[in-house]
Amino acid sequence: MAFPHRPDAPELPDFSMLKRLARDQLIYLLEQLPGKKDLFIEADLMSPLDRIANVSILKQHEVDKLYKVENKPALSSNEQLCFLVRPRIKNMRYVASLVNADKLAGRTRKYKVIFSPQKFHACEMVLEEEGVFGDVSCDEWAFSLLPLDVDLLSMELPEFFRDYFLEGDQRWINTVAQALHLLSTLYGPFPNCYGIGRCSKMSYELWRKLEEEEDGETKGRRPEIGHIFLLDRDVDFVTALCSQVVYEGLVDDTFRIKCGSVDFGPEVTSSDRSLKVLLNAEDKVFSEIRNEHFSNVFGFLSQKARNLQAQYDRRRGMDIKQMKNFVSQELKGLKQEHRLLSVHIGACESIMKKKTKQDFQELIKTEHALLEGFNIRESTSYIEEHIDRQVSPIESLRLMCLLSITENGLIPKDYRSLKTQYLQSYGPEHLLTFSNLRRAGLLTEQAPGDTLTAVESKVSKLVTDKAAGKITDAFSSLAKKSNFRALSKKLNLIPRVDGEYDLKVPRDMAYVFSGAYVPLSCRLIEQELTRRDSLAAATFPSSAGQSLRLEPPARASQVLERRSWQGLDEVVRLLNCGELAFTDMTKEDKASSESLRLILVVFLGGCTFSEISALRFLGREKGYRFIFLTTAVTNSARLMEAMSEVKA
Amino acid sequence: MDCYTANWNPLGDSAFYRKYELYSMDWDLKEELRDCLVAAAPYGGPIALLRNPWRKEKAASVRPVLEIYSASGLPLASLLWKSGPVVSLGWSAEEELLCVQEDGVVLVYGLHGDFRRHFSMGNEVLQNRVLDARIFHTEFGSGVAILTGAHRFTLSANVGDLKLRRMPEVPGLQSAPSCWTALCQDRVAHILLAVGPDLYLLDHAACSAVTPPGLAPGVSSFLQMAVSFTYRHLALFTDTGYIWMGTASLKEKLCEFNCNIRAPPKQMVWCSRPRSKERAVVVAWERRLMVVGDAPESIQFVLDEDSYLVPELDGVRIFSRSTHEFLHEVPVASEEIFKIASMAPGALLLEAQKEYEKESQKADEYLREIQELGQLTQAVQQCIEAAGHEHRPDMQKSLLRAASFGKCFLDRFPPDSFVRMCQDLRVLNAIRDYHIGIPLTYSQYKQLTIQVLLDRLVLRRLYPLAIQICEYLRLPEVQGVSRILAHWACYKVQQKDVSDEDVARAINQKLGDTPGVSYSDIAARAYGCGRTELAIKLLEYEPRSGEQVPLLLKMKRSKLALSKAIESGDTDLVFTVLLHLKNELNRGDFFMTLRNQPMALSLYRQFCKHQELETLKDLYNQDDNHQELGSFHVRASYAAEERIEGRVAALQTAADAFYKAKNEFAAKATEDQMRLLRLQRRLEDELGGRFVDLSLHDTVTTLVLGGHSKRAEQLARDFRIPDKRLWWLKLTALADLEDWEELEKFSKSKKSPIGYLPFVEICMKQHNKYEAKKYASRVGPEQKVKALLLVGCVS
Repeated sequence: MAFPHRPDAPELPDFSMLKRLARDQLIYLLEQLPGKKDLFIEADLMSPLDRIANVSILKQHEVDKLYKVENKPALSSNEQLCFLVRPRIKNMRYVASLVNADKLAGRTRKYKVIFSPQKFHACEMVLEEEGVFGDVSCDEWAFSLLPLDVDLLSMELPEFFRDYFLEGDQRWINTVAQALHLLSTLYGPFPNCYGIGRCSKMSYELWRKLEEEEDGETKGRRPEIGHIFLLDRDVDFVTALCSQVVYEGLVDDTFRIKCGSVDFGPEVTSSDRSLKVLLNAEDKVFSEIRNEHFSNVFGFLSQKARNLQAQYDRRRGMDIKQMKNFVSQELKGLKQEHRLLSVHIGACESIMKKKTKQDFQELIKTEHALLEGFNIRESTSYIEEHIDRQVSPIESLRLMCLLSITENGLIPKDYRSLKTQYLQSYGPEHLLTFSNLRRAGLLTEQAPGDTLTAVESKVSKLVTDKAAGKITDAFSSLAKKSNFRALSKKLNLIPRVDGEYDLKVPRDMAYVFSGAYVPLSCRLIEQELTRRDSLAAATFPSSAGQSLRLEPPARASQVLERRSWQGLDEVVRLLNCGELAFTDMTKEDKASSESLRLILVVFLGGCTFSEISALRFLGREKGYRFIFLTTAVTNSARLMEAMSEVKA
Repeated sequence: MDCYTANWNPLGDSAFYRKYELYSMDWDLKEELRDCLVAAAPYGGPIALLRNPWRKEKAASVRPVLEIYSASGLPLASLLWKSGPVVSLGWSAEEELLCVQEDGVVLVYGLHGDFRRHFSMGNEVLQNRVLDARIFHTEFGSGVAILTGAHRFTLSANVGDLKLRRMPEVPGLQSAPSCWTALCQDRVAHILLAVGPDLYLLDHAACSAVTPPGLAPGVSSFLQMAVSFTYRHLALFTDTGYIWMGTASLKEKLCEFNCNIRAPPKQMVWCSRPRSKERAVVVAWERRLMVVGDAPESIQFVLDEDSYLVPELDGVRIFSRSTHEFLHEVPVASEEIFKIASMAPGALLLEAQKEYEKESQKADEYLREIQELGQLTQAVQQCIEAAGHEHRPDMQKSLLRAASFGKCFLDRFPPDSFVRMCQDLRVLNAIRDYHIGIPLTYSQYKQLTIQVLLDRLVLRRLYPLAIQICEYLRLPEVQGVSRILAHWACYKVQQKDVSDEDVARAINQKLGDTPGVSYSDIAARAYGCGRTELAIKLLEYEPRSGEQVPLLLKMKRSKLALSKAIESGDTDLVFTVLLHLKNELNRGDFFMTLRNQPMALSLYRQFCKHQELETLKDLYNQDDNHQELGSFHVRASYAAEERIEGRVAALQTAADAFYKAKNEFAAKATEDQMRLLRLQRRLEDELGGRFVDLSLHDTVTTLVLGGHSKRAEQLARDFRIPDKRLWWLKLTALADLEDWEELEKFSKSKKSPIGYLPFVEICMKQHNKYEAKKYASRVGPEQKVKALLLVGCVS
């Protein structure tokens, strides 16, 4: 059932180098503080750190005890303290309080703060204000890219989403640019660059600046990765807000995959202990089902179980020698597979218990109705009921946002009533949540008399205005209109269903949403790639056709110049992002045809497993390989939580 | 050519010395050299003269003039000396003029007489005055040694990084030493001094008496001492006219000489070169110059004029009122080629080439002779090397021509030595030119390196020549042309008579976007000269906006700095500027500035949210951003306030703000919340339990669960809870209570707005099939099947 890749699909680059790089750098930093030391690690950094350097490596470099950075006084008695933190102000206050407490007690120790992935001036400022700047030495651990899987790199910066898309804080953009720069130094330049969204544009420009400052090195290198797509999350909120039904996405929605691994509780392991499982391509069972629609998974697993049993059964009727062979070579693999299989079956059961109930069906139905844009009234009352029954604050919010985006804002009456209901159900502090959502353009009100064209003219005026600041202003004042309906029509996001959609043999990327919807973000990439391929075919006809129709050179060059996301003009206008399509960075002729089929997709603000599965599907169909770089793996719940205000 | 060796003077058997003219000086000196303080920098450096020194008790009313000339006598600077009496002058390794004043203050001037800085040699020196001072060169830079009126020494080994060291006292020293010098051994500076017949070596710890080995007896005092250029050798001149020469460590004697002149010499310097055959000392008296070495005879010259000796790496420069000469030992290659009747391969090759030009067959004979001996390679090398040591271009040419001629008969002679020599000579001839006046020899040039030479040209503001040299030698742009252009630009911005526009344009025209040129550095220099406007203009050309910011801040153009920082995309930079602005401007202006820069504003807001909440409030106030202000107070109502009264007050402020923001919905919601809070408080007082902070829905649920149905109804009416919600609420609560009787009563109170299916569902959830069945019958027809399925009545 797992699809093999087409034979012409390129090999993925080896990203384990990134891990080694990060580890060596960390060791270097630890060695900067010679002798025994205690290491304080921020909770958010623990899992990523674990993927880079385990405890024994840390111990080798004289880390004595490990502590979690939390708001408690430290019990460490070591003379040297090392803090490994994200550059956040609250961490600085923690360090400062520790140092100041020592000072009061007349104690002098050595303190070192290692910021990952970079330090911010504001942090040093806080240390200075607290009067400890002189006592602490600061360093940077430029660890920004964690390879979670063979084709997935994560920056593990979930706060990127809120910081940029809600607060308009651009400080992480530099980190993104640095990460891209690192990739291009390691894996050669990227011949073709595309981007949608303001953040993409800024990241791209900063990255170009970095490359220019450090010219020379990469120029002569052959590109390994042919294309890079940069996408802002706000280009496509819809996809991220949908319930996921592909296995990996479903596991994420249900159990929360954290840094590439998941904690399966007792209900999955059917024992009293919970189990931490690493989910990646090395897990043979998982790698076959991760991209599957959930309805297929169980059947697959039972088939697998039968096969396994058959293999076990082979040992009957073996002679001694064969048996020896079996035990020494195959048994271990089979046992391993057995273990994995039972874990995934357990997970499936648990998911089934939760999801196959009546309400889940209803939920999916409502979602599909919203995507297709029919029975809006019914959907609205479904959401209302959802809120009235206090099903889940995050879910309710998600549905409201989905309604707002697909419908280009709520009609004023619904806007008020849904909000009132929500506040009554989940507490008044969500007044602030609504204000956040409005600012981010996730939950808005249709302005009375504000027809589509009026909005568009307003937006296009703003877009032509070069002053970037104005756009940010517009960003917060005039909540973005999504035009989802028009986009959906233009890009054919809702596949026409003739008969039942066969989820076992998917036809298109829509299978990740049960055949109801092709993810917008993935469709955009597909469109561009298809366009390129057809252009290439036209410009460089196959050798057979060459003699027949030689293109006049003038025309050929004309075609070559059109390299931006043109032809998508209409789409661009509807997306309201204004900024997209960067010209090519280097001449393409150096790129091998192999590398041109290797595509890096950068999601600024996070991507979901469904999007990853969809693009993996596209790759298999068309002979591409996709590599994903995301600020963090996200899902609808994480997005909503990022926007929520909760009582501290 | 016969007379080529005419100026060669043999010293002993092995070495020849020659003296040739570098320049004829036309510096039009008004006074005799002997009336001046003189300092000449090594490596063909400039000459400084301070006329009218104070030791001559002349009319004090006349101010002395400090003049600086190039080695060819071209005036570089002239300035009236307005400071105190000067004891000694000297040049540092960076060609800065150090003027040691009597009070121990050292004034530093540039090559063009521009005052750079000054430093003091300490209080002790100030009190006791300076008796004598020496400027010496070490590996670290240039040092100053001072003899004070109290006969104590103070020195600093590097004036760039001033660390004063006071040397220990010399026991029983009553008068000034007859002569002394600074020595540099093992990277430590010492002082060697002579008092009567005794020699003392001072290091930083102790004073030790030393005796030179093999010193002739009968010496009652040393009149002069000289240390060689490399601090390896020492020469002592005694009152008996006896000269002792040996190593500077005083462990070994090289030779001695008795000149029988008892008059103290004016100057004594070493004249040797690296790997010299002979070690010789040049001694100068008023009218006589003597070259003395390990030979019974000395070479004698007559000095027509008052002269001054400058020791160099490979010889001695001698300048007087009218000429500037160089005296050195003839280098080996030249000696071999030009010595009379020399049969060295180089000599034969030179001869052969001359014959070849005369079209004589003798050329072939000579060539054959060399080839038979297999010495052609050596011959070519000799000619190339000798060419380097020739001062006159015509001699250089003939030697190079000979080398090139010889090369033709060699199969594989690597051409780079020849090519490099041609290039080097071209550079050397260019800088030896009268107008440039840097008479470097080949050895000095190699020792100095091209980079230093370029620096010196830049120092003399000879930018075009420096650039030509860079281009000629094809130096990488960053080290060569760009660097020089940057220096030029820095000089250019100091020209106060040219308008800002012209300077900026001229600089941009010349520099364009040459790699490695930092416009911000040039702008910093312009700002240093007080030309802020020019600096801003120059910064416009800086492509990296990040580089512009620090200088703009320094120039107090913070607003411009802010927009540049934003342009750079570096948030840290933006933040730096923000903090700057915050301290610089008053609060109102600061906020106004922020208002025009949304990116900076959001950055600052983020910071305030975590660190300065009050400022955040002020920010919103300033902007009349009532919406955010309202949100701020709502947050405060549950984050900062503990007491109900405080929270209600915060909410009231929030509601007011929302009204101002025309956000009726939020205002109403906030007011509802105030009401709810008060009510919850009352409920807590009356019924006990926890109500505060529950949502409306949860409050009502709690009431129902607590059996306070009346209150719950009341609340629902007060807050206009829709029927649907109320039904859901009661349904869930009653089922939780398993109060089936009440539930049934409730279901019959009126027609259910949510239908009866939920009743069935909830009963089944509590596994009460009996109750569920009751409601299943009441479910509407379209959901009836579902209900029946739930209850389990498949029939």
